Amino acid sequence: MTGTSFQPRRLATGGLIDRTRTHSFAFDGETLAGHPGDTLASALLANGKRLVGRSFKYHRPRGILTAGSEEPNALVELRAGAHREPNTRATTIELYDGLDAASQNRWPSLKLDLLAANQLFAPIFGAGFYYKTFMWPASFWEKVYEPAIRRAAGLGRAATEPDPDHYEKANAFCDVFVIGAGASGLAAALAAARSGARVILCEEDFRLGGRLLAERSEIGGRPAIEWVKAAEAELEALPNCRIMERTSVVGVYDGGTYAALERVNDHVPVPPAHEPRQRLWRIVAKRAVLTAGAIERPIVFGDNDRPGIMLAGAVRTYLNRFGVAPGRRAVVFADNDDAFRTAVDLLAAGVEVAALVDARKGSSASARDAAEKANARYLTGAVIQRVRGGQSVRGVEIRDQGGKIELLDCDLVAMSGGWSPTVHLTTHLNGKPKWDESLGALVPGALPPGMSVAGAASGQFGLASCLASGQSAGAEAARACGFAPSVHALPAASAASDETTASTPLWQVADGKGKAFVDFQNDVTVSDVKLAAREGFRIPEHLKRYTTLGMATDQGKTANANGAAVLARVTGRYVGAVGTTTFRPPFTPVAIAAFAGHHRGQDFRPARLAPSHGWAEEQGAHFVETGPWLRALYYPWEGEEPQATVNREVANVRDRVGVCDVSTLGKIDVQGKDAGIFLDRVYANTFSTLPVGRARYGLMLREDGFVLDDGTTARLKDDHYFMTTTTANAVRVMQHLEFCQQCLWPELDVQMVSVTEQWAQFAVAGPRARDVLQGVVDPAHDLANAAFPHLAAGEVTVCGGTPARLFRLSFSGELAYEVAVPARFGEAMMRAILEAGAPYGIAPYGTEALGVLRIEKGHPAGSELNGQTTAHDLGLGKLVSAKKDFIGRFMAARPALTDPARPSLVGLSPVDRDDRLRAGAHLLPKDEEAIAKNDQGYVTSIAFSPSLGHWLGLGLLVNGPERHGEIVRAYDPVRGGDVAVEICPPCFIDPEGERLRV
Amino acid sequence: MSRRPLYALSALAGIAVPGRFGKPDGEPGVVIAERQGLGLATVASRKGQDAALKAAVLQVYGVDLPESSRVAQGPAVIFVGYGPGQWLAVSESLADEALARDLSTRLAGLASISDQSGGRTVLRVSGPHARDVLAKGLPVDLDPRAFPLGSAATSVIGHMGVQLWQVDDTRSYDIAIFRSLSQSFWRWLTASSGEFGYEVSGQN
Repeated sequence: MTGTSFQPRRLATGGLIDRTRTHSFAFDGETLAGHPGDTLASALLANGKRLVGRSFKYHRPRGILTAGSEEPNALVELRAGAHREPNTRATTIELYDGLDAASQNRWPSLKLDLLAANQLFAPIFGAGFYYKTFMWPASFWEKVYEPAIRRAAGLGRAATEPDPDHYEKANAFCDVFVIGAGASGLAAALAAARSGARVILCEEDFRLGGRLLAERSEIGGRPAIEWVKAAEAELEALPNCRIMERTSVVGVYDGGTYAALERVNDHVPVPPAHEPRQRLWRIVAKRAVLTAGAIERPIVFGDNDRPGIMLAGAVRTYLNRFGVAPGRRAVVFADNDDAFRTAVDLLAAGVEVAALVDARKGSSASARDAAEKANARYLTGAVIQRVRGGQSVRGVEIRDQGGKIELLDCDLVAMSGGWSPTVHLTTHLNGKPKWDESLGALVPGALPPGMSVAGAASGQFGLASCLASGQSAGAEAARACGFAPSVHALPAASAASDETTASTPLWQVADGKGKAFVDFQNDVTVSDVKLAAREGFRIPEHLKRYTTLGMATDQGKTANANGAAVLARVTGRYVGAVGTTTFRPPFTPVAIAAFAGHHRGQDFRPARLAPSHGWAEEQGAHFVETGPWLRALYYPWEGEEPQATVNREVANVRDRVGVCDVSTLGKIDVQGKDAGIFLDRVYANTFSTLPVGRARYGLMLREDGFVLDDGTTARLKDDHYFMTTTTANAVRVMQHLEFCQQCLWPELDVQMVSVTEQWAQFAVAGPRARDVLQGVVDPAHDLANAAFPHLAAGEVTVCGGTPARLFRLSFSGELAYEVAVPARFGEAMMRAILEAGAPYGIAPYGTEALGVLRIEKGHPAGSELNGQTTAHDLGLGKLVSAKKDFIGRFMAARPALTDPARPSLVGLSPVDRDDRLRAGAHLLPKDEEAIAKNDQGYVTSIAFSPSLGHWLGLGLLVNGPERHGEIVRAYDPVRGGDVAVEICPPCFIDPEGERLRV
Repeated sequence: MSRRPLYALSALAGIAVPGRFGKPDGEPGVVIAERQGLGLATVASRKGQDAALKAAVLQVYGVDLPESSRVAQGPAVIFVGYGPGQWLAVSESLADEALARDLSTRLAGLASISDQSGGRTVLRVSGPHARDVLAKGLPVDLDPRAFPLGSAATSVIGHMGVQLWQVDDTRSYDIAIFRSLSQSFWRWLTASSGEFGYEVSGQN
């Protein structure tokens, strides 16, 4: 865009940005310009924008502290509308043309934030303030205090519309997994990949190189970036190496499994069609090399959070990688030599350096040299005790060794308290990092199996040692995978890069003035840590919970070390003994959408569709989820109320004939010489005596004596049974049978396989069922009652030769058959049955009518087979064989399970026929009070019976079978029901069962 | 009344429509074809008959039954191992129920056979990006170093059980899924293939 491409703080030359192209972007509505290769943070700094956000609690003005994923301050809302994403780190957002970002947690504007008044109340906003301040009156917490606190605190706003983007998950496998592509990671990947090992190299940045992109170092006498490019080119050319940029490794799991988030299209306005926005990887690796580098620590001093105070390493990144001068006049404040190099880089970029403030007592030759090169004063044993300026640094108060205060004007403070190895991933399997006194930092302790650590992540900070340890770790990892890496000579790193790495951290400026922040993101100050310690929170885990130090999006990456050090000081302990909190996955935030991947909306979970599903959709059926299946609930006619539909479907079965897709029942082929013996052992009743061509109702118990499942099993051949289970328990029964076969009785000759999917099965029920079946079953098969009686089963052909199985089974109590054909004929079979049944008034019925029919007949189903009922409870005691052993027999004989007073199955009819029954209502003696002591059972299933013209129910009632004729209360406090019901036998239609035998 | 023969219907009828989808330009990265009309049957060795079954299968079908997650191809029937003493038999020439009938007759007493020809949808996924697509759901390493020709796997894709085997060495995989899950699987497969551009071919 014209007119806005001027970037006041952009250096004239340098940086890994494409100056030939300009990206236009908006921040808080203002149009700005940057270049490809920028991050949002570097582009904002190039435009002189230093104030980018407001803090969590005190709404203090905040700028950009870092240049990486550890950023605590520069959190923005990225994109708008449904794409809006809060709390994204400006330091990791790759600039693209049209990027739209907004600051957050401010009102009405970033510069004038009225909630900054919170600072005035800082004394009551100390650690744990909400536990103490809002205690009275207690009723105010939910209605007044909490909503007010939530409005005032918090950061960005989540989008309110569904996320329009697509996310996905993926799996990858390799021999050697290299985490982080800085100097060490590239060296490790090269060593491993050259040996032929399958290598995956993950880098969270959009460029490989790590700190080499940010420093003016040399490798082999050439700028380090050239070595990076050569390494990248070599790795890309190797077919056994996969480079994954923009991919953060966020978790370590058992068995060499790692989670990584790939930001596939976060760097474009909207993902291209057919591409996901993010991809969550599950990476399985035989070996891993962690080369995640290190994170620089801030120093804790008064008003150390002002915009313009940055980590020294970040200052070098903005200068060298992005060609941006983050200030005009700088002060470098540090306790280590590495940081003072920043002065030289600043001067090289034309930034005046006012002073190098060295917290160390003694003079450092390296720091003094840097000061000379930068034409800057070198103050030793000095500290910044306070910063001047509000929305931007205006100057610093420097206190020298003698306590003398000096004011220095500056607009940039480059600070460094040394570097902490990025140990996070080493702790995800509970490894504890250990304190290294010479580094003043935690280094990896016990490592996850298969992982090694190299470079800065292992505490080896010098470039030469990074290259060497990376190469050695990569080669060793390849060797462990059975490859034979050859030794390559290492390029020499420039001497200047091999800085001394020893560190004596200052941590905190004692006796400073103003608010000294330990955790910027959570507004935790030194006084909060002191308060926590005074109140007994003396270990980091407790400190974290009490003060929130180390929580939220950055998980304290720049705060934890300083927090532990301040805690050590106020509790008079050695910092190495204080320990740390546990770092858990994810290393950096992961959107919930990435975890969901493809599985949202319709695909939240897979749906199993019955063979007649397409036909049922055509009929306008309503569907219901039954376990993993979608089943037709009912088939309404146009304008018909649901209850009317169900009544019609039920009446049609009782009066004429209906058809229902029952393919969802579990179906298991049980074969083998010992199949009968096997079934005798898993069923409570006997199956070895079942003749071929017959079916029998079977009841299966669990080991503990309660009912597991029921269903019918037919004997098709001497050594071939066909079992059915309930839809809901199909998988569980299969697992149970496989366990019994494999573990309990491996000596039996029995083979089982699920054939649920193979057979489309249809129940044809009603007085005209035989007439209908005669229209589809080929004439060779005699369906007369004598030839094919109730509980007959056999193989037939239908519709001119299609192989089928026919069973005479009834769940409705009517004359009924189930006919099964291979599933690909399912839809055609449904149509053929309807065509054959048309002259007899056939109509399809759904699961709702199925339920009514079975309740009218008193057949137990899911609500009664609830895992807490015995065969006796369900009125099925007679089925249980006394002549054989079977699973559950012994435990079913326990006194509590044979107590005759146990709640058992009864039928329930409302005394006033107009009353409606409710499932779940408690059954109480008629004139007793509705208290728990009088509870005698409950209503399990209810239905409106079109056959009887009133509601009826099934229930479990104490001494139920002996109380037929008694009136009890069906009491439903939840829905306000209190209905007098008469106890009756649990069968309301054709109790003699004559209809199904005609 | 007239008994018209029943028509067979793929679970993906009207859904797996032939054509080019996803990214529109360039060669399709993935080609998807439904293999209809296959004979499919599970074969489970009877107790103590392992050796006899192996010998019979070798003699009758010319296949040396694999003992692990492998696939062995004969002229008419392939056998995909999915458990100890358990195979999925697949055949083009012995179509539909014919395979189970043939196996039941010729392996009588040696194995328990169950027809599965109606119970599975079999898709052939091939093309230069076939492996990249499958990686989006299948937690199995399909790199030829780990999954050489003749390998098979019983696993899950997107919470759906699958049996997968490799039919040749050109990045081509056959995947059997439960018929009832075909539509859910298809949505996963096409969503995952879109970025590479995919072609749905007709009957294979």
